[in-house]
Amino acid sequence: MKKLMLALALLAGLWSLSANAVEDKYQFKDAEREQTFKELVQELRCPKCQNQNIADSDAVVAKDLRDRVLDMVHEGKSKQEVIDFMIDRYGYFVHYQPPVTPATIVLWVMPVVILVLGFGFIVFRQKKAARKQSWSPEDEQKLAELIKQSQRKERTS
Amino acid sequence: MNKKFLGLVPLLIFVLLCVFLYQGLFGNPRELQTGRLGQTMPAFELPDLMDEQKRWTDQDLLGEVYLLNVWGTWCPTCIAELGYLTELREQGVRIIGLYYEQAYDPDFGDQFDINYLRTDVQQMLARAGDPYQFNILDLERTLALDLGVSGAPETFLVDKNGKIILHHTGDINPRVWRSKFAPAIQELQP
Repeated sequence: MKKLMLALALLAGLWSLSANAVEDKYQFKDAEREQTFKELVQELRCPKCQNQNIADSDAVVAKDLRDRVLDMVHEGKSKQEVIDFMIDRYGYFVHYQPPVTPATIVLWVMPVVILVLGFGFIVFRQKKAARKQSWSPEDEQKLAELIKQSQRKERTS
Repeated sequence: MNKKFLGLVPLLIFVLLCVFLYQGLFGNPRELQTGRLGQTMPAFELPDLMDEQKRWTDQDLLGEVYLLNVWGTWCPTCIAELGYLTELREQGVRIIGLYYEQAYDPDFGDQFDINYLRTDVQQMLARAGDPYQFNILDLERTLALDLGVSGAPETFLVDKNGKIILHHTGDINPRVWRSKFAPAIQELQP
């Protein structure tokens, strides 16, 4: 029994030691750096995987990128500096927010253009249709009479 | 006339959009994974895989067109391409290996045994063919990260001024060589 207790105590000691080791690595100087790190590992995409961020992936390269991001954040690099560093090596693929480039401009502008064109088309057609209608005072009078007639019918029935 | 033309505009937009999206179907998403094309080799100083005393730097590689082949004995595709790469070496292509060690992770206090690795590599090269002029050991994968390597095998074509001309992900086989590397090398040698 004593031996078991000793073993358990030892195990617990070891476990807390390893937990400490992990904490040391992820100990940030200030909350801002911690926040930057957390945002970056979410935003950066694992270059080996089809669709996972580096926080989520177990690929070796994702781990390497995570470590590099950690180092850079510890050095006090800004978020944009880290992102630029990664894009320089892995291309735009590595960042989940695509930049505006000649190749991607279509994707940014197309929805707006379609929306504006669509609305413009509807308004334009409406106005044209409204202009086509010929509505004279006589028509107005006739309508008033018809309404009166139907109202009278309703009352009598 | 004018109105007829206006009616065709949506159709035109639709067709253009179709062409644009259709192209996307045939793009290879893995091709886009490099930011290093057209740049010079990043600076490095790393040991030789077989001889710790010998250290290679980016300056040592200048002066001749070469392939930098990222590989590891743990990677089946790398082993599969060794044979063809050896053929290429016999045809006079200069191939330098960048040994990409996957298992090494200082966080877990790995006892990395370099002698075991050397034996492993030598046996592998003796069995499957040895295409390499020499191998650079990138134990911590720092050069690999600077090159934008995401795994193995990957191969870079570098010109004699150290400029990266091609970055190929995946194995090199006769088809890839003919369609991708041979034309690029031809262009480099007037």
